[in-house]
Amino acid sequence: MSEFLFLRNEVAPAMIRGVWMSIKLIVPSAVFGLVIGIITGTLRVYGHAVLKSVANIYVTLFRGFPLLVQLYLWYFGLARFGIYFSPYTAAVIGFSLCSGAYHSEYIRGALLSIKEGQMLGAQSLGFSKTQALFSIILPQAVRRALPGCGNELIYLIKYSSLAYMVTCIELTGEAKILASLYFKYMELFLIAGAIYLFLVSIATWILNHVEGWLAVPGFEPPRT
Amino acid sequence: MKDSAMPANVPVLRIENIKKRFGDKEILKGVSFELNRGDIKAIIGPSGGGKSTLLHCINFLTLFDEGHVYLNGIEIDHANKRELYAYRQKVGMIFQDFNLFDHLSALQNVQIGLVRVKKIPKAEARERAVAELERVGLKEHMNKYPAELSGGQKQRVSIARALAMDPEVMLLDEPTSALDPELVGEVHSVIQKLAAGGMTMILVTHEIGFAGSLAKEIMFMDEGVIVEKGPPRKILYEASQARTREFCDKIIHFHHREDDQE
Repeated sequence: MSEFLFLRNEVAPAMIRGVWMSIKLIVPSAVFGLVIGIITGTLRVYGHAVLKSVANIYVTLFRGFPLLVQLYLWYFGLARFGIYFSPYTAAVIGFSLCSGAYHSEYIRGALLSIKEGQMLGAQSLGFSKTQALFSIILPQAVRRALPGCGNELIYLIKYSSLAYMVTCIELTGEAKILASLYFKYMELFLIAGAIYLFLVSIATWILNHVEGWLAVPGFEPPRT
Repeated sequence: MKDSAMPANVPVLRIENIKKRFGDKEILKGVSFELNRGDIKAIIGPSGGGKSTLLHCINFLTLFDEGHVYLNGIEIDHANKRELYAYRQKVGMIFQDFNLFDHLSALQNVQIGLVRVKKIPKAEARERAVAELERVGLKEHMNKYPAELSGGQKQRVSIARALAMDPEVMLLDEPTSALDPELVGEVHSVIQKLAAGGMTMILVTHEIGFAGSLAKEIMFMDEGVIVEKGPPRKILYEASQARTREFCDKIIHFHHREDDQE
């Protein structure tokens, strides 16, 4: 009975708080990351020389630094220059920029896989390059990049647990606090892990539907 | 376009001394010709002779190093983007490998230029697109995607897509050379229909029989120059240049052999 009370009075509220914070971290980071990724990926293929190198430097830095180091820099490092972010803001900035760098790589690969003829076909009808990019090239590239970007979103769900390291207490943080308080590491981290698994399953389900919804006959290899 | 206001003697399209080099290889060594309204000219010649590059240059899809392009007597300045985009609508281009937009249905392929470039309301653009697809005999396939169409059908969609922009001239770059032999006929008959409707055209092709039946003039192109031009009979059977004779003989023999086998 005491186990039940412990679950009801201690674990459940903490986990609900934690999941809610995790979702508040994941959703905006996913959206910003994807937008940043599409913009930088496009610049790296079609941008002018200067923008192209800025985008390349960004990707090199944010894929090269460990995410935890990036979070420390945003939260603790910038404080030295009088720039203070809340733990939540620092985490969302860190996740978005890191995620964007990875997305940009998937987008870049997808853009390069689109045949040159698609651009020529559009230009021959009087499309400007920019118009062709938005109406013809990107809609195809995003479809091609979707499996990769989906994978990155799944990663994001799990690396959101690093927010706890900059004192933004989300699911892992709540589990850690309770676990050390009651010395029940195995139980609490199994529960937290199961909740992450559940979040990942929901994301996978959503991504599958988006893929199916955007599918064009013959454009992608048939899905299994 | 106010045709009546234009002097009758101004050619629709005039190409003047186009030169293009890639690295140290000179692909076009000064090509000139003109097209009057309703003219159909065919360009034949060996691969690598500059035929495709010439068509791409005429549409500024490849920028040439020297030369001038005039539409209805007005020189096209490709640096003026508005002018360039307007010009490209007037000069329809058909590619060897179709270049249909792979993520769009046949209908959307024809519609998208009307909506995005010509800024025609969607419903109206759709109506026009359906009419163009009907013209090439594909109305019943309009909701299919490129991957679901045969090569011949794809090429017909691409013709419909170009026609929807109301071109004054059509450039056809080997429209049937990527097709299985049994699909060539359907594309040829669409092109014939265009010709019968008075469309001004430049046709790059290896199908000399078709070129001969359609065009008033055939230009033989090799090594970046128009070696010789004239009425089909003359070019195909009584060419004055040795190079032309050699090429035409080979191709005619090849076609006869194919005919024998059938």
